Amino acid sequence: MKSLRATNKSERGRWPYLYLAPILIGLSVFTVGPVIVSLFLSLTHYEIGLAPHFVGAANYRDLLSSRLFWQVAGQTFYYAFIYVPVSIAVSLSLALLIEKKTRGLAFFRTVYFLPVVTSTVAAAIIWSWLYNGDVGLLNYLLSLIGITGPQWLRNPHWAMPAIALMSVWKNAGYNMMILLAGLSQIPTDYHEAARLDGASAFRRFRTITLPLISPVLFFVVVVTTIGAFQVFEQTYVMTNGGPGTSTLTLSYYIWQMAFEFFDLGRASALGYLFFLIVLVFTFVQFRARKRWVFQP
Amino acid sequence: MGLPAMKLIRYLLLGLAGAIILAPFLWMIATSLETPEALTVFPPRIIPSPPRFSNYADVFQQLPIGTFFFNSVKISLLGTIGELFAASLAAFAFARMEFRGKKWLFAIVISTMMIPFQVTMVPVYIIMRYLGWLDSHASLIVPHFFGGAFASGAFGVFLLRQFFESIPKELEDASRIDGASRFRFFLTILLPLSKPALAVLGLFVFMGIWNDLLSPVLFLSTEDKMPLTFGLAVLQTVQHNGRFDLLMAGTLIAVTPIILLYIFAQRFVSEAFLRSGVKG
Repeated sequence: MKSLRATNKSERGRWPYLYLAPILIGLSVFTVGPVIVSLFLSLTHYEIGLAPHFVGAANYRDLLSSRLFWQVAGQTFYYAFIYVPVSIAVSLSLALLIEKKTRGLAFFRTVYFLPVVTSTVAAAIIWSWLYNGDVGLLNYLLSLIGITGPQWLRNPHWAMPAIALMSVWKNAGYNMMILLAGLSQIPTDYHEAARLDGASAFRRFRTITLPLISPVLFFVVVVTTIGAFQVFEQTYVMTNGGPGTSTLTLSYYIWQMAFEFFDLGRASALGYLFFLIVLVFTFVQFRARKRWVFQP
Repeated sequence: MGLPAMKLIRYLLLGLAGAIILAPFLWMIATSLETPEALTVFPPRIIPSPPRFSNYADVFQQLPIGTFFFNSVKISLLGTIGELFAASLAAFAFARMEFRGKKWLFAIVISTMMIPFQVTMVPVYIIMRYLGWLDSHASLIVPHFFGGAFASGAFGVFLLRQFFESIPKELEDASRIDGASRFRFFLTILLPLSKPALAVLGLFVFMGIWNDLLSPVLFLSTEDKMPLTFGLAVLQTVQHNGRFDLLMAGTLIAVTPIILLYIFAQRFVSEAFLRSGVKG
């Protein structure tokens, strides 16, 4: 055994780096490098084919003083503000519904997860059709209970909530799976003891399930919020940021700036502002953690 | 006494949720079997009668769905192989070797998962342009052999490292005593033993590439290069007034392989969630 350890040691040198080479090259070229280059570009005026020229903080200054930037940031928050609570409430409800050892559990779990494996593009196309204001299924169902539905995606007031609702349908199954895993960790005797003491189902949920699931819930809230800020594909397929600029989100705006207006410097600055916003939000959530997450 | 009633309510709610979740899929199927004329009428017909199966022949004739499909298969398969290659090699080094800066390197690899694409998108586009890979499948495939253009590989490294660590060290010692090289051990013993982990990772990576819109939209421009996601997104804007029947048939063709794959492998998916969720 000793000699074996010795040969291991002599092999220490460069071999590990050979195994790591692909991923390290990839991360340098496609992630770490671009993060640095993009910071540099954000301080320049740059269009493809021309040499970038340094403009200092002008891109940031212009963005922060433009009405559209704040409108777009506000709309992104608005989307997250609808999407995050609704989707987590739905995910948790679904998880609680199938948590117990019910017959057909695997069936329901599979069905609820189907939208997750469906591409956002496919989901967005299907929902654009459902949302069709003239002959769509949604407005037909609403008409059955006497409501005349709006032109969902063509109405500046309804387009964003409609996109958020589609995203809830698309993604709820994902968080449901994570919450299910969390729920399965709660010892059943806690609930049984409480039931013997006469605690109602609601009381048991509030005093046992919720505190014990809160660390998982925290993780879900953080990740879902980051995901919500990144919303891109939905607006790309369903509205192109319209009508007008009413569903323009930060990600889509960065995209537009770079690949429709070809202002790569400003797009990079926008990318960094976006990153900063996400970091600040995540930081705040970690700070608020103690307030509501149960620590044994 | 209240128990059977509670149970009934639970099943009703489970069924209701299932119906709401399935409804858009069913509506897609119904629409894909309609005549174009029937789709302009309000109230809409719920069940197409008679169902027009010829839409599925038309969709291949009138739209380049066959090309899109082939592109999706090609990009997703090759990309998945690439990512399994890069991630398993790196995970092996992190799980089984000692070297300088290991902890730091691992931390860096994992933390790249937090970098949003919005920050790296522009330079990555410039790199692809510089390499001459714009509007070619190389831009969508080759990066996966290096862990992906948008740091997707880090997740695979993390997942496989955990699995590799769970395989007893004695196995490696034994194979080394028999004179096998380290790489041979990796290739002929460790990888075959890791089939379940590789399958789960492969499944997630394949779905991720198949469903991805960002990279194709970023790098491709001609129609005959597009995968299903991009192709359908373009058709959706072009076809806006009319032929929703064909668009829905195309969408159904796009989602069916991935849904079948998921249904076959759903046991693995649930297990993966359970295992990764333990630590919360």
